[in-house]
Amino acid sequence: MGIKKAILLSLVSVVLAGGMLWYHHRPLAPPAQATWEDVTGEAQRGGYRLITTEELGRLYQKDPQGLLLVDTRQEWEYRSGHIKDAVNFPLEPGWWGRRRAKSPLAKLLGPDKDRLAVFY
Amino acid sequence: MAVQLGYTKIYRDPLGYPAWEQAGLPGARTPYGLCNDTPGGPPSCLPSGWALLGTFLGIFAGGLALNLTPCVYPLIPITVSYFGGHSGESRGRLAGHGLCYLTGLAVTNSALGVAAALTGGLLGGLLQNPWVLLAVALVLVLFAASLWGMWELRLPGGLTRMAVKSYAGYFGSLFMGLTLGVVAAPCIGPFILGLLTWVASQGSAWLGFFTFFTLSLGLGLPLFVLAIFSGSLDKLPRSGEWLLWVRKLMGWVLMGMAAYFLRPLLPEAGWVALMAGGALAAGIHLALWGRTPATFRPFGWLKGFTWLGALTAAFLVVGFFALRGPGVAWQPYSEALVAQARESRKPVIIDFYATWCTPCRELEDITFHHPQVVKQAAQDFITIKIDLTRKGDAQAETLLQKYQVKGVPTIVFLDREGKELKDLRLVDYLPPDQFLGRLAAVTKSP
Repeated sequence: MGIKKAILLSLVSVVLAGGMLWYHHRPLAPPAQATWEDVTGEAQRGGYRLITTEELGRLYQKDPQGLLLVDTRQEWEYRSGHIKDAVNFPLEPGWWGRRRAKSPLAKLLGPDKDRLAVFY
Repeated sequence: MAVQLGYTKIYRDPLGYPAWEQAGLPGARTPYGLCNDTPGGPPSCLPSGWALLGTFLGIFAGGLALNLTPCVYPLIPITVSYFGGHSGESRGRLAGHGLCYLTGLAVTNSALGVAAALTGGLLGGLLQNPWVLLAVALVLVLFAASLWGMWELRLPGGLTRMAVKSYAGYFGSLFMGLTLGVVAAPCIGPFILGLLTWVASQGSAWLGFFTFFTLSLGLGLPLFVLAIFSGSLDKLPRSGEWLLWVRKLMGWVLMGMAAYFLRPLLPEAGWVALMAGGALAAGIHLALWGRTPATFRPFGWLKGFTWLGALTAAFLVVGFFALRGPGVAWQPYSEALVAQARESRKPVIIDFYATWCTPCRELEDITFHHPQVVKQAAQDFITIKIDLTRKGDAQAETLLQKYQVKGVPTIVFLDREGKELKDLRLVDYLPPDQFLGRLAAVTKSP
């Protein structure tokens, strides 16, 4: 390798390293809180309905057996506290996670297509 | 998604558990160590049936992946030179020898698994013992030197003769495998600490044996293929500028791994200097050394990329070290401090660590130096660190008993009342964003 090429590449590496250092140390914005509009929009696109805590509480107290509660958070979150009788089904975000979860989810929900299930 | 599967009555509760808990509705928690058999339940429970088979397939794949670590480099020339001596034999007999060799390797490594299961986590500490680390690093450096042509690697004649003559046949191959497992086991140790901890937590010797047997089968499969074809491999031309360069590169990969093993033994600044100097030396050796003009174009490009990569790595190592902000301000343990935390109703983080433990270093270097973690910890927590590097400290021993600490790292969270939040306990590295999630869970607990 020639001297000229070596020097040129050294300069490129300085720029590259500087860029990466800046990127790593850039100030982080606080995580955005999802607004109610986002949530309803998502529900419409996904084709499911929303339920409030009070409603769910009433349903739960009336007939806990006829209701399947699915906790989609990570396992350690589930361990540190969850709705009583809920099952943990950790969902990874992104299309790959959804794709992989499809058949275990079908198994979890069972053959009855009209079964009442609440995700959180 | 459930809707796509054809279910009709699907709801989502967007406020989730926090709102449920606030409304005073019934909740439950599952601390670590308890098993429940709900589908998709905690994976720490021993799987059975198909799930068990799946687990073992995963372990096998993990073993295959271990071939990407340079731990197998030393095994490659030895395998070739040993099986080169058998090259006169038929393919079938060679396969038999390869199988015995593979089994020997697997049995030695499985001893590791059984030891892990019986000693319960202590083995991880042993594998991270300074002398073991030093020895492994030394062996790696020696092999790097051999790759650079400073000395020729040959099995000691005595060993080969003993294996071939006195334990003639298949037993000789088995014996070779058994011996070489000793080379591989400490090297792969740090990459499989998680698996060791899992085996230790299950405490079953059989499970430990089969887990590591499967892992070594995956690890040894490419070696098995190599053994069968080693005879024909000998006939390949071994010279040429290009091949020499690849050997140089493999040597530097080994050096990098030696540095990785030495990390727990060196002070931070020394390690940074070693890494930066090493990257620079690798760049000069691989890209600038040797005046011979590149024989073909892609080779020149490759050298250019190597120089760029090595130099960038050196700058990054130094840059990250120079720009690193302050870490979490730890205090030594004292009863008074814990009592004071209880009085001021502040939660406590207790970090059990040892300087030789790699995940502890990762936690300290990455997670406990993340600005948001540092800020959160200083604001809401009392932070205590307990050094377990040396055994025999009376206070540390009582604390190990009190909190049932089985190994390092262990991070214990105490709530505002001074009681441990067992379900949040941490026994491995956790990246900053997830650690912040745990801190939030601790502050939320009453």
